[in-house]
Amino acid sequence: MSAQAETSPRVTVEELTATKRRLQPLLPDMDPCDLDLILTSLLRPFGSGRRFFLREVRPGVRVF
Amino acid sequence: MSASSDEAFVLEVLAALEQTGLEALVVGSVAAVLQGSPVTTQDLELLVRDTPANRQKIEMLGHCLGARPREVSSLTNVLRIDAASAPVDLLFDCLPGELSFESLRSRSVAIDLAGRTATVASLEDVILSKEASGRPKDHAQLPILRDTLRVKKALAK
Repeated sequence: MSAQAETSPRVTVEELTATKRRLQPLLPDMDPCDLDLILTSLLRPFGSGRRFFLREVRPGVRVF
Repeated sequence: MSASSDEAFVLEVLAALEQTGLEALVVGSVAAVLQGSPVTTQDLELLVRDTPANRQKIEMLGHCLGARPREVSSLTNVLRIDAASAPVDLLFDCLPGELSFESLRSRSVAIDLAGRTATVASLEDVILSKEASGRPKDHAQLPILRDTLRVKKALAK
C-alpha cells in the first residue's frame, strides 16, 4: 500500500493490520502504538469525518 | 463517507481561494494533517506573496469567509480572518527557517480533496519551519511529525 492510499475511498481493518505488519520491521524503534496512530491517520481518506481543529469554549478549555 | 465540519471548512477555504484567484500554500499543522499527521491545531495557515494585488485578494477572501482580515498583533504582519469554523491566518513571503514562498512552492504537493486541489507545503518543510519557529507548541509536535514522515517513506518502499 502506498502513501497514495490516503485518497482511497476506504481502508479496511485488514489492510491496516497488514500494512502495520509490513512496516514494523522497517521501523523497529518506533512505538507500535504510535505506528498504529500514524497509520490510522495516514490511511484515512479526506472526507471520512476527521476532526482536527480545536476550539476554545472558554479560557483554558478546548474541544474538537 | 461524510465529511466533518473541519474537512468541510478546508474545502470552503479552497473554494474561496479559487474564487478570489489568490495563490496560497497551505502551511503549518493543517498541511501536516492533510499529509496524514495525527495532530490538531487551532487555525489554518496560508502562505502568500506580499503584493498589492494579493492584499486586495485577501480582502475578497475575507468577504468570502465572512470576516474582514485583521492584524493579529503589531509585532507581526500576519493577517487573520476570523472565519466561523476556525481562524485563517495569512502569512507573507516566508516561513521561519528562511523558507521562501518560491522554495516552498517548488517542493509543495498537490493534494486532491473531494475534487478540489490544495497546494500544500511538504511535510519536510512543515517540520523545518516548526524546528526554526522556536515556539514550544511547534516543537511539541515535532516527534510525531518526524515519525509520520518516516512512516510515509517506509510506505513508499
